[in-house]
Amino acid sequence: MAAIQVNHLSKSYGSFQAVDDISFEVEAGTVFALLGRNGAGKTTTIELLTGFQKPDSGSVRVLGLDPIRDRAQVRGNVGIMLQEAGFFPDLTAGQTVEIWRDFTPAARPASEALELAGLTAKAKTKVRQLSGGEKRRLDLALALLGRPDVLFLDEPTTGMDPEARRNIWEVVRDLAARSTTVLLTTHYLEEAQQLATNLAIMDRGQIVVGGDMAETLAARVGRVSFELPSVIQPGELPLPATMRGRLAMVQAADPDLAAQTLLGWASERGLRLRGLEVRTASLEDLFLELAQNGEMAQNGTTDRGDHP
Amino acid sequence: MSLTATYKLSARLFWRDKGTLPASVITPLGLAIGMPTLMRNVTAGGVTAAAQMFVGTLALILSGTAFLNITVALTMRRDQLLLKRLRATRLTNRQILLGEVANTVTQTVILMIVSAVAVHLLADVPLPRNPVLFAVFAVAGSAVMATLGVAWTAAIPRGELAAPMTLPFFFLAGLASGAMGSIVDLLPPWLHPFLAALPTSAVVDAVRASYGPGTFGSDLAAAAVPALVLAAWAGVALLSIRRWFRWESRKS
Repeated sequence: MAAIQVNHLSKSYGSFQAVDDISFEVEAGTVFALLGRNGAGKTTTIELLTGFQKPDSGSVRVLGLDPIRDRAQVRGNVGIMLQEAGFFPDLTAGQTVEIWRDFTPAARPASEALELAGLTAKAKTKVRQLSGGEKRRLDLALALLGRPDVLFLDEPTTGMDPEARRNIWEVVRDLAARSTTVLLTTHYLEEAQQLATNLAIMDRGQIVVGGDMAETLAARVGRVSFELPSVIQPGELPLPATMRGRLAMVQAADPDLAAQTLLGWASERGLRLRGLEVRTASLEDLFLELAQNGEMAQNGTTDRGDHP
Repeated sequence: MSLTATYKLSARLFWRDKGTLPASVITPLGLAIGMPTLMRNVTAGGVTAAAQMFVGTLALILSGTAFLNITVALTMRRDQLLLKRLRATRLTNRQILLGEVANTVTQTVILMIVSAVAVHLLADVPLPRNPVLFAVFAVAGSAVMATLGVAWTAAIPRGELAAPMTLPFFFLAGLASGAMGSIVDLLPPWLHPFLAALPTSAVVDAVRASYGPGTFGSDLAAAAVPALVLAAWAGVALLSIRRWFRWESRKS
């Protein structure tokens, strides 16, 4: 069953089309990543899904309910970690969680929520003294208080150090394993690749790539790169290569096989392929490829303005 | 349950907000107690002049503690995206705003009662003859002023402009109710009906009746027009909130 259903959703601010006719579904108990550059429409999409914004057209259903019309009911079953939202600076992290428990039916104990977010040591610290990453964790603690069925995470690990980020990934994985549906936006492609089973990449309000993470990546090419030996011309290589300075790059559906071919060819000639790197397709490659395509498309059309 | 929770939160934040306390508590309370006490000691009229002035200074508590305080607090919370965060919970819009209004009414009524007792002890101003009339208009007046404060936030573009855009009403309310002495008599007569139609003036008129001589019947008669004035302002406030209230600051 789909926990989140988005059907031909559109939203504009003045003449700026923030979200442009997008549709997707998120199956219950899965992690779905929404990716894209700044201004691509990710946050507007989350705000539409959580009922903070009203769509111009199209529909959203979260657990079968309309997030605007059935707001109280939806809010009772979802946790929302906003990208930008304030805290009361003079309250401590612990006091903040305690106060939020009053707003949350059947809330977790404050200590459990703080522990899940890795903030136990900061329970008595005033919010104004927390670092950016610690505030994100407090945000997560509040989102998890009501044991939500659906969790919306808008850039959950921004500003966190790598260790804290990995801890949060563990929490998200654990929640997903207990059949919480998670929709997250992120700038960190590794994060999406680590956590999500499905993805949608947005660009200028539209979904340009979407679907199963593994299938999406499998459909992309990997690459082999190495320093071209000085005695060799690019045309002499057994596979077509593009050059960046002295670096030769070979794109191939199966980069391991391409690397074997190149190494065999080099050893027959007594050559060494210095700095050899074999990379399977990553989300980063896909993202950069789309960004390049997007820029090319944008250069050919009129500027659509910046995010309001 | 949730209304109690927002009420508790709002009350906790009210007394912690050291930036606003001078305008929302210390100044109105200081003027409401200090000026009548001064009048008691420096004028020939003594107690009568002090009582006259004290009832007028209640307009300062209403406009400072109710109107100014809620306007500043809500505008700041809107700009800091705290209202947005509260709306990410199960709380309804109504619960969030009602919690703020209910807390503001409580604090305002407490200050009105504290000042009435203080001027009784310090300046021999008698306690109201009809405490029910006093209490009803203290609560109704605070509620209308707090609701007007919620509505007024829509006109304020940024948090730092909340106090300067609200303070003029503090002085206007004080002027109209006689809290600043008889300056009001120097103003052109055509202005008087407008000043009398202010919600703070309506409360002061009714409270004045609760202090002066009278009967149950004369109190009811004296309360009728102020009650209508407050009802009209409440209507204006509620319609404005429905039409213009913003939960987030305008995106530039």
